[in-house]
Amino acid sequence: MQNFKNKLYNYESPAPEDIWDRIAGELQNEKILDVPLHRRSKVFFYSAAAAASIVVILFASLFIKHQGQKSLISNGQKTSSQLAIKLKDSIRQNQQILESIIHDPIEKKDIIASDVNEENKYKKYLTVAGPEGQPVKISQKVATLILYADNEFPPKPIWSNKICKWQEIMLSSTISPTSANLVDLIEMAANSNNLE
Amino acid sequence: MADQSNHIPTETDLIKGCIDGNPEMQRMLYQRFSSKMYGVCLRYCENTEDANDVMQDGFIKVYKSLGKFRAEGSFEGWIRRIFINTSIEHYRKKIKLYNVTEVQENTIEDTDLNILSSLAVKDLLNIINELSPGYKQVFNMHVIEGYSHKEIAEILGITEGTSKSQLARAKGVLKKIIEAKPVSNPANRNK
Repeated sequence: MQNFKNKLYNYESPAPEDIWDRIAGELQNEKILDVPLHRRSKVFFYSAAAAASIVVILFASLFIKHQGQKSLISNGQKTSSQLAIKLKDSIRQNQQILESIIHDPIEKKDIIASDVNEENKYKKYLTVAGPEGQPVKISQKVATLILYADNEFPPKPIWSNKICKWQEIMLSSTISPTSANLVDLIEMAANSNNLE
Repeated sequence: MADQSNHIPTETDLIKGCIDGNPEMQRMLYQRFSSKMYGVCLRYCENTEDANDVMQDGFIKVYKSLGKFRAEGSFEGWIRRIFINTSIEHYRKKIKLYNVTEVQENTIEDTDLNILSSLAVKDLLNIINELSPGYKQVFNMHVIEGYSHKEIAEILGITEGTSKSQLARAKGVLKKIIEAKPVSNPANRNK
């Protein structure tokens, strides 16, 4: 015997004829046929919009990254070329100054010495720029040695060698001479010689 | 070669056809499920007029919602749920559930319900239709459809306790109806 629950659950009764007419009329009037398509197209629209946004963001980030790299490379190339020019200039300038100091006649050195400030005349030590631009404290005697490192006079082989080496370092230095470096050094040295 | 006119569309064909707005498929879907769903409407509704209204609203909802059907359960079950919800919505506008105190479930023994099994389906329907709408909804949903009290509470917007109380009272009323009617005794009914 069929359980009453199943009987009621599976109970069927033919619906009145006019119900379908009413449903069909409502379907036609409200044009609900378009609703699923509309919903589907809405979902499709949102999905497409989301996908498009992702693609745009992706391309934008890639473009920005690429531009950044390009800019960095460009900047790097520019900086290195500028540095190379600066270095070349610096070396050339150093060399010119040192060569002029070393090979100029002693009279000219005296002329230079005459322009030295009075306050520097009696200083025991001088602070000059070293080969790498660092402040170096040297005595006036050492300054004299550097000045006459061209072996013209007085002959001091050990110091001369050392100072020649320093000269080489300074010639290859990338630091441009300043008012506080080698010119000052030469002037100080010349001045002390005059005093002696 | 098979005759195309005799081709019986599958549920998938019907669903696709209705989504595409094919009127023939819509009519076929209606024909396939109308009797069963009208049975549901008659069980939940107070009279045939209400049942007709729910039938119409329910099928319109089905056609509108077909795009949402994910085939996770049976198609018939999905349609049935729409009709139950439509019936409840229909009655929610008119009928307020009685506020009842919470009582223990199963105040009526199962043997009492077994008496119902001996009745014809039309007698069963007549007896159930004598219940008040609130009792009828809870009885149909819990006993016939197999909803839990938690589900009923969520759907009807009541507490689980109220759902249990309604069911207990529905069973009590059913017992009285069966006792009062000659159909309650199958032996008498067959005379």
